[in-house]
Amino acid sequence: MSAKGRRKIVVAGSGPVALEVARQLRERGEALCLVDYDGERLKKARLAGFEVQQVNLQDDDELLSLGLGTEVDVLFSLLDNDADNVFLVISARALAPEVSIVSISETEETVKRLQAAGATKVIDPYQISGYRIYEMVHRPVIAEIMDRTVFGTDVDLEIAEIPVPAGSFLDGEYLDRLSLSSRYNLVVLGVVDRDYGDHLIFATNPKRHRIDVDDVIVVIGQREELERLRKEMTGSA
Amino acid sequence: MRLSDLVIRAAYWLEESQRYRKVKRAAYDLLENPHSTIRPYFDFFMMMLVLTSVFVLLYDVRHQLGHWAVKFENLVVVIFIIEYLARLWVYDDIHRHVIEVYEESELINEPFRVSRALREILRSKWAYVSSPLAIIDLLAIIPSYRPLRILRLFLLFRLFKLFRYAQNIQEFGSVLREKQSELFTLLTLLLFILVIGSSAIYLFESSSHGGEVHGFFEGIYWALVTLSTVGYGDITPQTFEGRLVTMVLILSGIGVISFFTSIVVSAFQEKLGEVRDRQVLGQLQKKKDYTVICGHGRVGQVVAGYLHQDHQPFVVIDENREVVMAARRRGYLAVHGKAQRLGMLRKLGVGRNARRILCLTGDDVVNVYITLTARQLDEKIEIISRANHHRTMKKLMLAGASHAVEPFKVVGLIAGEYIGQPVAFEAVQGILMGQEEIALEAVRVPRGSWLDGRRVEEAPLEELRLILFGVITPLERESDHVRHHYDLRAHRFQFNPGADFVLLGEDMLLVFGHRYSILRLRHRLKR
Repeated sequence: MSAKGRRKIVVAGSGPVALEVARQLRERGEALCLVDYDGERLKKARLAGFEVQQVNLQDDDELLSLGLGTEVDVLFSLLDNDADNVFLVISARALAPEVSIVSISETEETVKRLQAAGATKVIDPYQISGYRIYEMVHRPVIAEIMDRTVFGTDVDLEIAEIPVPAGSFLDGEYLDRLSLSSRYNLVVLGVVDRDYGDHLIFATNPKRHRIDVDDVIVVIGQREELERLRKEMTGSA
Repeated sequence: MRLSDLVIRAAYWLEESQRYRKVKRAAYDLLENPHSTIRPYFDFFMMMLVLTSVFVLLYDVRHQLGHWAVKFENLVVVIFIIEYLARLWVYDDIHRHVIEVYEESELINEPFRVSRALREILRSKWAYVSSPLAIIDLLAIIPSYRPLRILRLFLLFRLFKLFRYAQNIQEFGSVLREKQSELFTLLTLLLFILVIGSSAIYLFESSSHGGEVHGFFEGIYWALVTLSTVGYGDITPQTFEGRLVTMVLILSGIGVISFFTSIVVSAFQEKLGEVRDRQVLGQLQKKKDYTVICGHGRVGQVVAGYLHQDHQPFVVIDENREVVMAARRRGYLAVHGKAQRLGMLRKLGVGRNARRILCLTGDDVVNVYITLTARQLDEKIEIISRANHHRTMKKLMLAGASHAVEPFKVVGLIAGEYIGQPVAFEAVQGILMGQEEIALEAVRVPRGSWLDGRRVEEAPLEELRLILFGVITPLERESDHVRHHYDLRAHRFQFNPGADFVLLGEDMLLVFGHRYSILRLRHRLKR
């Protein structure tokens, strides 16, 4: 999205997970700040070149001083301990009802607890890794393709959400008649219509969907092709 | 001189003979090989033979069975003798000894002496003959020799032969063997008390003193009956001193019995886990192409859960006994132990029946070590390993892993993607995790089906409401378009092929769609 660099992201924690997340975000050009109560571990993060801040995460005032509730758009709660994460999510949610909170959980039960505490998204690394390993065992070719294309490290294909500008050539078209696959070498997965909520309406949905302004189409393809589509849509608007 | 030449030539001839080796191998499989499929049948047959022969022997005591019983007895003895000799033969190779001695003498330039080779052979064969199981085998045969008919009683030794064929009883024996020193201490103590007790009672209660003990043997008999707390009461002490001895003996008897019980119980308690592990390994030997999961932490549990759901065979190994117990409660095959040990991996069938091994412990050092060991045991086995640290990836690949997964990296990727496009990413993630109605599946185009040789646009994708993500083809297929393809290990992935892309048999369509639509497509391609 074009909002890159504008968001303020706070990553709580400085363990291996937090560092990995920070690294990925930095690669995507996001501005972020690592916070933790453990000064020793923060040193390591600072050596890796991140902006760091030592904060007592259990103190609401210190959280407020970070900009929670005012400037911060996304908070990652990536502490090593499930209880600490739940506590941080609850305090952050109480201070800032609007902020997106992403957290990780060590066990299945904590996923629900974190969601109840107000996390927007809970990532269960072990569940996901376990499933990936199972996929490698169960359907190795698909796992390999997804690794090589969408989810790997230096991948070629991207999943992108592209908003439809007013008056563009997609405006008013039916979702199943887009034929972007021949015109752009893109595969259309579906559309998000804000009028119907935040979920993805798949292109295979039997209820035909007419695209209008402010819908977001979700496509898979190479970066250049995605850029071409974006450009030509704004051009035709 | 002539004789030694002959011996050496015979030894080399045996060493080279394929047929001899084959026959010997077959005999080994039948008699000794714990992994062979035929051995259980042989064991069962021999057990039946032993039981029948002992039954005939007992029935013969009161009834006349005639010459059929004699013939049967002879047959059984012949089978036993053949078995005994076959085991002696299989135990090791005579000709190897000859060759070894010969080559050694060649090396130091000495004449080859048959007597030395013979000594070597006798020594190694004697090692077998003097082993407990071989002695039992022999005792089962010898009493049938007519002049030694008094030894008829020893025919019951045949029952001990059952030991050989029943693994459970052998396990019992091995458990007790672990406690050898304790049992020996107990036996010494028992003998000590027995000697003192029987001497004392003989002293005080002999017939000359008006007692009932008429000899030293009766003294021993009485002491043992009292000591074991059985106390028949056929011989009772009459004198004051005798009763005093009795009381002391009874008290020490309680001690000895409880000591014995506790040794046996604790031996079994200590060994219970091992016995169960051995049972699991036994079950595993009957399976093929299974997965070995090393480490039953969170990741291991998730993988095991999916595999279990899919009814795929697997075995779990973990260092933590409680974790192993938990896995067993879920109905998995689980073994307690360290997977990094070469012997353990071999026991788990790596290099034999195992098809793939997953190294999923939380410790990268252990994962690398298991990977290395498994690769060393089996060139072809598929190894998927978990890397908890980024730097371990390279090491795992060097060690021979086929794939590696980094849980923390996955979190990073998801977090990064999530920031960019939350809805899209969540949807795709949901599809890939199988949590949605919509699935991503590969549908094979069967060879010779109506789609074989047709173009992509002719496939009923739109009609069935499926989105084509790409086509999986063999590596050598060119994309006939300006479209992109990605080379995988053994396939080529043609992303979003054009409408005129020609599909051939064994290609796979990778489609997004409702599970039902995918089923319909598969069904249509079958016709």
